[in-house]
Amino acid sequence: MTKATHPPFRRALFALIRQQPIRYAWAQFLWISIWTMPILVGLITARFFDQLVDGTEVTSLLVLIAATFAYAAGRSVFIMLGMRNHGSMLFRGSAAIRRNVLQRIYELPGASPVSESPGEIVSRFRDDVEHVILPFDLSVDIAGAGLAGVLSIGILMTIDTTITFVILIPVAMVGIVAIQTGSLVRRYRTKARETTEAIAGFLGETFAATQSVKVAGAEANMLARFTALNDERRTMMVRDRTLTAVLEAVFRSTIYVGTGLVLLLAAGRITTTGGAGITLGEFSLFVFLLGIVTDAAYFSGMFVARAKQGAVSFERLTSTLRGDSWRRLFERSELNLDSEPPKPSRQTHEPEPFERLELVGLSYTYDGTDAGIDDVSLSVGAGEFVVVTGRIGSGKTTLLRAALGLLPVSSGFILWNGERVEDPEVSMAPPRVAYTPQVPRLFSMSLLENLVLGDDIDEEVLDESVYIATMTRDIEMMPEGLETLIGPRGVRLSGGQVQRSASARMFTRRPQLLVLDDVSSALDVETEKVLWERLFAARAGVATLVVSHRQAVMARADRIVVMDRGKIAATGTAAELQQTDETFRAIWDGTAGAGGR
Amino acid sequence: MIPVRAYFRLFTGYMRPYRRQAVLLAVVLFATIGLQLANPQLIAVFINRALEDASAETLIPLAALFMAVAVAHQLLMVWASYLAEQIGWSATNQMRADLMDHLIRLDMGFHKGSSPGELIERIDGDVTALSNFFSSMIIKVVGNGVLLTGILVLLWFQSWIVGLSITVFTLLAVLGMLRLHGVTVPWQKAIRATSAEMYGFIGEQIDGTEDIEANGATNFMVRRFDEIQRRWLPQVVLGWTGWAMMRITSMGLYFFSLVMVYVLGSWQFGVGTLTIGSVYLVFQYVQMSHMPIEQIREELIDLQKAGASIARVEDLFARKSKLVQREARTLPHDALSVAFDNVTFRYDDEAGDEIVLDGVSFAIKPGRVVGLLGRTGSGKSTIARLLTRLYEPQGGAVRIDGNATWDIDLETLRERVALVTQDVQLFRATVRDNLTFFDPTITDDKLREVLHRLELDEWLATLPDELDTTLDSGSGGLSAGQAQLLAFTRVFLRNPGVVVLDEASSRLDPATETLLERAVDHLLQDRTAIVIAHRLATIARADDIVILEDGKVIETGERLTLMEDEDSVFSRLLRTGIEEVLT
Repeated sequence: MTKATHPPFRRALFALIRQQPIRYAWAQFLWISIWTMPILVGLITARFFDQLVDGTEVTSLLVLIAATFAYAAGRSVFIMLGMRNHGSMLFRGSAAIRRNVLQRIYELPGASPVSESPGEIVSRFRDDVEHVILPFDLSVDIAGAGLAGVLSIGILMTIDTTITFVILIPVAMVGIVAIQTGSLVRRYRTKARETTEAIAGFLGETFAATQSVKVAGAEANMLARFTALNDERRTMMVRDRTLTAVLEAVFRSTIYVGTGLVLLLAAGRITTTGGAGITLGEFSLFVFLLGIVTDAAYFSGMFVARAKQGAVSFERLTSTLRGDSWRRLFERSELNLDSEPPKPSRQTHEPEPFERLELVGLSYTYDGTDAGIDDVSLSVGAGEFVVVTGRIGSGKTTLLRAALGLLPVSSGFILWNGERVEDPEVSMAPPRVAYTPQVPRLFSMSLLENLVLGDDIDEEVLDESVYIATMTRDIEMMPEGLETLIGPRGVRLSGGQVQRSASARMFTRRPQLLVLDDVSSALDVETEKVLWERLFAARAGVATLVVSHRQAVMARADRIVVMDRGKIAATGTAAELQQTDETFRAIWDGTAGAGGR
Repeated sequence: MIPVRAYFRLFTGYMRPYRRQAVLLAVVLFATIGLQLANPQLIAVFINRALEDASAETLIPLAALFMAVAVAHQLLMVWASYLAEQIGWSATNQMRADLMDHLIRLDMGFHKGSSPGELIERIDGDVTALSNFFSSMIIKVVGNGVLLTGILVLLWFQSWIVGLSITVFTLLAVLGMLRLHGVTVPWQKAIRATSAEMYGFIGEQIDGTEDIEANGATNFMVRRFDEIQRRWLPQVVLGWTGWAMMRITSMGLYFFSLVMVYVLGSWQFGVGTLTIGSVYLVFQYVQMSHMPIEQIREELIDLQKAGASIARVEDLFARKSKLVQREARTLPHDALSVAFDNVTFRYDDEAGDEIVLDGVSFAIKPGRVVGLLGRTGSGKSTIARLLTRLYEPQGGAVRIDGNATWDIDLETLRERVALVTQDVQLFRATVRDNLTFFDPTITDDKLREVLHRLELDEWLATLPDELDTTLDSGSGGLSAGQAQLLAFTRVFLRNPGVVVLDEASSRLDPATETLLERAVDHLLQDRTAIVIAHRLATIARADDIVILEDGKVIETGERLTLMEDEDSVFSRLLRTGIEEVLT
């Protein structure tokens, strides 16, 4: 895969701002006020010192105190408003990214929408989103801090131009250092993020395979591997954090070096009277405002550094979109954060009757291997029962996935009722098709929710689906029936129950074409027998495409397609193929003699 | 409250190996604080001398010294931060490792109730919060605490009344912040809980895209996602409100102190107790005291997160495996006998839960192959899980070589009892690591030999880097059947005394299965075996048969004897038609 060029991160920031212009403007107003207000404290203090040294009292102490308290009260209100607005704004920004990425993943061919492990993807949703949002967050501070800095410089200019210019030198250096170290910061951060992702991925896979690990007695090996990953991450993290500390030290030093410069330049010029020299009040104002100016420089530097880190995460998130524009991340979608959206009205219009599904010359190869399917054509007509069979690794599952738009085919196309299907990943779904994969996944919700998936399913249809899938008795046995929570990935169900629940889920869709991948692997003979009998009784002309090796299933087929090394080796009925095809005979009889191995 | 005590309880053990670095860190930190406190003193001297019209020559060295001290302070800060990170990550890595080790050894009952996504969040998310807490705790909270104390002490030296009033304000503010902290901890907890739910949901979604898309459930899932976010938003805003309250409190302290400087400064200067330079010094210290308080306040946020994390990590460490080891006997290197003695089992300990095994008894002599039959849900897989001691029975005992499972050293037991199931999980790692389960002691020669026996060498040759090829997460190019063959490879690499095949060949086509039979024949030689199957052909090699129904044994006996007995359940099953289920 070639590395796509990425737009500058600045465009991501603008996109985030465009998403919430009003909240952003309000944030800017509040935070500019919060940032610039401290200048007043500097002015009040300067007045205090000057009066103290003079012995005069132009402004009474009480007024100074009252001004200080009024200021504190005002700033408190702004901070409360500012932070609440900020929390909401940042959340909405990240919520939109998360939602858009999830939506995009659903649009991609479902068998391999991403090449990373679920753990790594979770880390993208969590950490990369945060890193993209952080510069957006800081952009508000930088405007306020910057304006406060500029105002402070203006005030200092009126006191002493030379000193002001001199102390701006270290301040400018801060900016230069920040920009110069940017790419280093970025490189370190990338490494640190990668090692963190590797850890998340490894943990995710390990705990998805706990039983296998235990049974293999491999706990110690897993731990050794984990420790190695941890060590690598520690090195990267310490490097990354130390660099951050160095930068922070550089920024903080500025304020001290600047103060020292003021001392140097003012040495011998601090007077009680003003005039040619500078007064103590002015000196205090210098030191105070220098703090604000340095803060501004510090925030600019930090902003640049965070923006570089943000750019790394931005690239990674963009790559998760697999070819869609980066703009997609910031699309202003309806987040439904403030109220529950109205339930979508279910599509009521009946789809046109099913006539024929034709797969024409479908090819797909898994990355970096020869495995896949090559130029496979196949058709299923109304009411037909078509079985795909073949040795392991011959491409049966790949064929079903390609037909359902779950894999991006490299060539070939799909015809539905003679019309070309342009977006199989979206439209090869109910009401046209529904599917039970070989290893089905259920979700951490109630069994009922897993079956209906948010649709208004008539109770009759639901009962019938459960009945065909031979789940009725299982559900009766469950303490809370259909309301039973089945745990993450449905782990509270047995393997067979997961398989049958997934079949029931498919039946509730009432599609025109049923697609089942080797439903038998988790079912015992009698249960499977009942399932097929019930399905045939209820099917009444629904087209069905299945992968199976069962003699009984193949015997009922209108047509059997024998796959071998990604191609169709033979087609026919069981009786015909037994006469003509050696691979088929080997599968039918269970002899290992034939096949290409 | 701040979970300092809990934190140290959890952390002390992990800190022990890094005592020296920790002492060094403390020294460096104290040096930085000293330098930081010294600097305003220099300015005060400077101002007093300047106002006495001292010459520039005496003032310039003071200014230069000021800058030197400041730069030295910053350099030491970098060193301190490096040390803290190094110690923090080393110590918490050990904690991560221990936590993972602890969790992976917990019984399966625990794992059934928690998703991998959640455990990532626990092991990495929570522990990282703790490690951040360590670096910030040491550097920021302790460092700034000492700095703040130093400032207060120096203020007392300048003028006791200034020192007293500012100390009182500071204590009030700190108390106020601690009180607020107590209020806001539950808010943070709620945020973390929702966040864990969100990422658990995402992980599950990524895993199930195929099911979701092909069954038209994407809109439904997006609605679920929206629901979680909708619950999350107000929690997040409340969290920010808490931080705003903290920030306002610390700002209040700053302004009260500032007003004190104005009032007390002009009074004390007026009566001549304080020089002008000293008033400025007090002002500087008050300014300085603002920063440590701000930083402590910011760290309270991390502390809050860490508080919740500590609770969860401790909770996880406190979980005891339900497997109670009584003795640690070893097993001989032969085929082993297996016996179930009136075993009763339910997955949940609660009495209301469905009984999975209800007084199951049977015995297998060493070297015999037993076919275990029964409907889905009749308890077959449970028998395999009890035998590998993934769970403990509530009643009765499972015996291997005459010993109850809890009397056998667990490592030995898992080494001597092998289980192959139909679920095969692959790792995003090399083919070698996937086959050996990351065991570096298994040689490539041995691996190749086993792959050859399973006739997988041709498949191996198609891989770009042979054993070094990285398998993608999911299955990338590997069919479910091929993955199952790889799982077999894992068992062939070991030398078990009991082999349990739980629907182990269910995803293979009959032709490949026949091929596998030959290898399995070899594997089962001189070993005890339990073959769980739903296809009768799979148990053709069985010497004995056990048939389960609804958690009870309904028939046992020699296969051939049962076949001849027309009234046996087994022969009735045979008559149902081995493969002809449709007709």
